[in-house]
Amino acid sequence: MDLRSEQPVRARPSPELLARLRAGKALLRERRTALPLPEKVAQLLLLQRLQLPLIRTQRPLRSWERPWEIQP
Amino acid sequence: MASSFADALRVVNSLKAEGVVEDYAIAGAMAILFWTEPVPTYDLDVLVFLPGSTGSLVSLEGIYDWARRNGHPTDAEHVIIAGVPTQFLPAPSALADEAIRTAAEMDYDGVRVRVVRPEYLIALYLEPSARTPKRQARAAMLLEWPRLNQAELDAILKRHGLAV
Repeated sequence: MDLRSEQPVRARPSPELLARLRAGKALLRERRTALPLPEKVAQLLLLQRLQLPLIRTQRPLRSWERPWEIQP
Repeated sequence: MASSFADALRVVNSLKAEGVVEDYAIAGAMAILFWTEPVPTYDLDVLVFLPGSTGSLVSLEGIYDWARRNGHPTDAEHVIIAGVPTQFLPAPSALADEAIRTAAEMDYDGVRVRVVRPEYLIALYLEPSARTPKRQARAAMLLEWPRLNQAELDAILKRHGLAV
């Protein structure tokens, strides 16, 4: 089956739009990078709480893999 | 009241002040956090020079002994410092030696802390013994950092026979 021949011809984003989207992503990363360190650690503590239940569904957790009970 | 991350860093600094380690530098995911964005991690990696460790096999017994004396529990090669599982790794290579010696002095909430520079973090992740998909992803993340010193990275990689 030739997948390409059966697909409708779609409108594609312009190079300018793609560039704007990539620039927006870069700006978001830049802002996150520039956050004060304690705010980044606060984000890490949140990430730990969000990610651990997912890891637990895939494999047993190691004894030290648990959210840090600390302040940022 | 719970400890803070700054408390953990103060304790790591005290290891150097007390001579338990000659020098240290934060590495791994927590070092990445200092330079770019937070990435999920559950421990603090600390590269260390142990005193009197030149020319012989190294032992972490000094660190574990210090931990026992100061009431820091241990768990699976980690010392739990102010609530943070911390792994101390004696520098395993000449590259790691350089990473410790050239670490940046940074400030975390008023605490001075030594952190492996991003160019060295990338190189450490590219060492053959450390190349896992997770570490390669972290190297790729750091390679996108706009302030990366590409010339310095190239020189480090060349000096240690590594490639991206």
